[in-house]
Amino acid sequence: MPLITYNKKDLQKLVGKKLGNEQLEEVVSLIKPGVEEQTDSEIKLEVTPDRPDLFGVEGLARAIRNYLEIKNNLQKFLSTNSTLEIKVDSVPIRPFIAAAIVRNVSLTDDVIKSLMNIQEVLHATIGRNRRKVAIGVHDFDKIIPPISYSGVSRDSKMIPLDFENVMTLREVLENSPKGKMYGNLISSAKLWPVFEDAQGIFSFPPVINSERTRVTEKTKNLFIDVTGLDKAAINQALNILVTNLAERGCKIEYLKLKLGKKSEITPNLQETVIEVDYPYLEKMIGVSLSKKDIIQLLQRMGYSSVINGEKIEVVIPPYRADILHQVDVIEDVAYAYGLNNLTPQLPNVATYGKALELERTCEKIRHLLIGMGFQETINFVMSNPLEQFDKMNVSREKVVEIQNPVSENYTCLRSWMLPSLMKILSVNKHVAYPQNIFEVGDVVLISPEEETRTKSLRKVCGVIAHSKSNFAEAKGVVDTFLKNFGINYSLQPYQENCYINGRAARIISNKKIIGSFGEVHPQVLENWEIEVPVASFELFVEDI
Amino acid sequence: MTNYRLTKEGEEYRKNGLPEKNLFELLQKDQLSVNNIQKKMKHADIALLWLKKKKIIQEKNGEIFLVSKKMEFPEQDALEKISKGETVNPDILEVLFQRKLVQRIYEEVEKLSKQLEKKKVSELTPIMLKTGLWKKAKLAPININVAPQKIVSVGKSHPYRQVIDDIRKKLIGLGFVEARGPLVEMNFWNFDALFMPSDHPARGIHDVLNVKNSQDGKVLDKQLWGRVEATHENGWITGSRGWGSWDFSFAKKLLLRSQGTALSARTLSKLKKEDIPHKMFMIDRVFRSDVIDAKHLAEFDQCEGIVVGEGLNLKNLLGYLKEIVIAVTGAEKVRFKPSYFPFTEPSVEGLAYHPELGWVEIGGSGIFRPEVTLPLGIEVPVLAWGLGIGRLAMIKLGVNDIRYLYSDNLKWLREKSLVK
Repeated sequence: MPLITYNKKDLQKLVGKKLGNEQLEEVVSLIKPGVEEQTDSEIKLEVTPDRPDLFGVEGLARAIRNYLEIKNNLQKFLSTNSTLEIKVDSVPIRPFIAAAIVRNVSLTDDVIKSLMNIQEVLHATIGRNRRKVAIGVHDFDKIIPPISYSGVSRDSKMIPLDFENVMTLREVLENSPKGKMYGNLISSAKLWPVFEDAQGIFSFPPVINSERTRVTEKTKNLFIDVTGLDKAAINQALNILVTNLAERGCKIEYLKLKLGKKSEITPNLQETVIEVDYPYLEKMIGVSLSKKDIIQLLQRMGYSSVINGEKIEVVIPPYRADILHQVDVIEDVAYAYGLNNLTPQLPNVATYGKALELERTCEKIRHLLIGMGFQETINFVMSNPLEQFDKMNVSREKVVEIQNPVSENYTCLRSWMLPSLMKILSVNKHVAYPQNIFEVGDVVLISPEEETRTKSLRKVCGVIAHSKSNFAEAKGVVDTFLKNFGINYSLQPYQENCYINGRAARIISNKKIIGSFGEVHPQVLENWEIEVPVASFELFVEDI
Repeated sequence: MTNYRLTKEGEEYRKNGLPEKNLFELLQKDQLSVNNIQKKMKHADIALLWLKKKKIIQEKNGEIFLVSKKMEFPEQDALEKISKGETVNPDILEVLFQRKLVQRIYEEVEKLSKQLEKKKVSELTPIMLKTGLWKKAKLAPININVAPQKIVSVGKSHPYRQVIDDIRKKLIGLGFVEARGPLVEMNFWNFDALFMPSDHPARGIHDVLNVKNSQDGKVLDKQLWGRVEATHENGWITGSRGWGSWDFSFAKKLLLRSQGTALSARTLSKLKKEDIPHKMFMIDRVFRSDVIDAKHLAEFDQCEGIVVGEGLNLKNLLGYLKEIVIAVTGAEKVRFKPSYFPFTEPSVEGLAYHPELGWVEIGGSGIFRPEVTLPLGIEVPVLAWGLGIGRLAMIKLGVNDIRYLYSDNLKWLREKSLVK
């Protein structure tokens, strides 16, 4: 979830009322974001990804104003139509575009900072790191129409932002920091997307803007381009940007996209209406609400509404793209009502609690082994082939491997547990012996017939480590263990390189192998740098 | 029970053989000089004395040899029998008594009795208890500051297990049925069935660990997959707008389960009408693409549950969340705040009041979206909740490094006191 820092002076000015630290914290967390920290000049919030309209200080101020019912003169956003057209060619690598002109901006340091901030957060979240949505903001007065959006060859030239010299697009990708970061989003295409005006390329989405149209403190009018792979997402990003600027009194100007014979007006600030079922709303929250209550609660979350019998028609503002279903609106009504104003109520639902049989068995196993003096350990299911196989002196087998491991210590899932316990012995050599330890835990085996092509199985494994530990002691534990579970068993000699040859056995019950035990091979002990003999046992819990 | 017991000498002969028997066996092999006999065995003089008395050896030119190659030693058997408390032939017993190989017990008791009158003793012994002599015994006091005897191998459960087991029992007490699901999971159950869109950020390689196997998961219920597809595409009959797209091939891919909610989806898909109302919980592993440090683990346990029932509402959700948080943390005050989960609406975070830490976020919850429940075949509301048990366990164990929960530090495990 994005952590965003807001300038409190700017926020107060936009809200139009001074709020104390506590009051600010309270109202913000009642709306939704979590407050991470607050100083005299800044407030840092954890904003949930469903509310990108709160990523900017202007949107946050609007939400606070609505919640506290603070009147403001800007009831509707200022907007006009312009005659400007953008000729849009088909650019398969980035097919969708949206754009807007925003006039009368007054770009103080604070405003420029917040504009850059929100761009960054939008890129990282709904933009999916510029892949799905990329935003460019330009000084409109530096652009000389006609404007076009098209795919061009990689030898086309521009002066990228923060550079002085002309470069080919190929050179931008190779030599500029942004080119190196985002070039891979388009490099596979033959033609690369650019915006051009009478003087040439002024934007190269999703990579970089041009130096020529750089936004400065002197900029009075903005041109915003948004390109991407998902039409709804680019419109959402643009709407959030322009409605935020409109909160500062700027004027939004619509322009026309010429797509072959068709044309389209952008930005698309049309409000949508969703129908909320009145009785369903009351049933879901568990309170009865008057019409007046509902309309007021909705208003405090920024919705206007009309009630028609059992239907509430709720107008969704253009910056709220998270509303998929009436439950999304109902949540906002509940938040406006206040979760702490609802009385928690346990319903009369009679059910019987029950432990898993498997877990009950595991509890008994733990009691038994603890009674025999074993210390319980808990280990990770993630492991690596070096520990699972090489250090155990056994050949590598097919296990569940991780495609994108974070660390070379955790690249696969364990298929047996003895390596986990050997690892514990190896890091506790300075601790008093005997070290008798065990774990009851999961292993995952490849099993192609299963839905997930694998099987998660519960096992119990123990090691006995001291200067005189041997086969007989392990057998004593195994025998006591199985007798207590009423299991008749027989033994078979077991040849496996992790054990000393001739000092290991398989445990058979009902013609099934349920486990094994033996003296761990000195080569294995040497691999783990363990200096006392170790006897071990490992059994399948599901067979007990 | 006999009144006799073996003396120290008698016990030695019982174990190692009577000297005369041992000598007889030596001489069976060859004749020997007295000097040689003395070199070869203990108690040679006693042996010679008794074999001579029984007239089965003779001496010639300094060499001792057997007169008869056969000889029985009933005394040997008798020693064995006496040690086991069995009765023996009185004639043989008399011989053994004369040889001071046995003694009457009362003699020992008299001796002990005299001793006990004379001085304090340090230990209470079985013979004192058997004979009642403990009444005469004056047991010397012990310095209670004596160093405790070291008990190295104390069997104990893992501190984190104690926390987990405690929570399990409380949830079972609240009427929840325990469940378990696969650690390797299909994207479908982990995300798609929970109405998380194919391009949701939480599905990226920076968040989840994918499985590197050639095979995709198996589609078992084609109709269910169809309903989930339609819901993602256009909302199906759920009243939702949907996401406008769905990636079938992505849904089939395998990953390491990243959220326990996958099991809630599985549970709901199997629930029949007659199983409702139903309450389920699990405490089990999930995996994330995180670098391990004091605050993060790539593998940890989640505690999640659902309540399925007719007419459940937001107030009931708060009721359960409060009850669960109070049961599990022992907190007296609980507060709620808005939250966000991709699969619940409304969503609520529960905070518990801790006397030292203040308000601590302890559990997330919500009502499953209709886009989640309807495709799974559930037409009643489903309340879902999850507890941050890692955080809770850290508070209970008084540690500030989450790695302690899976600690390989044996010393710490041995010394850590039991969890309250």
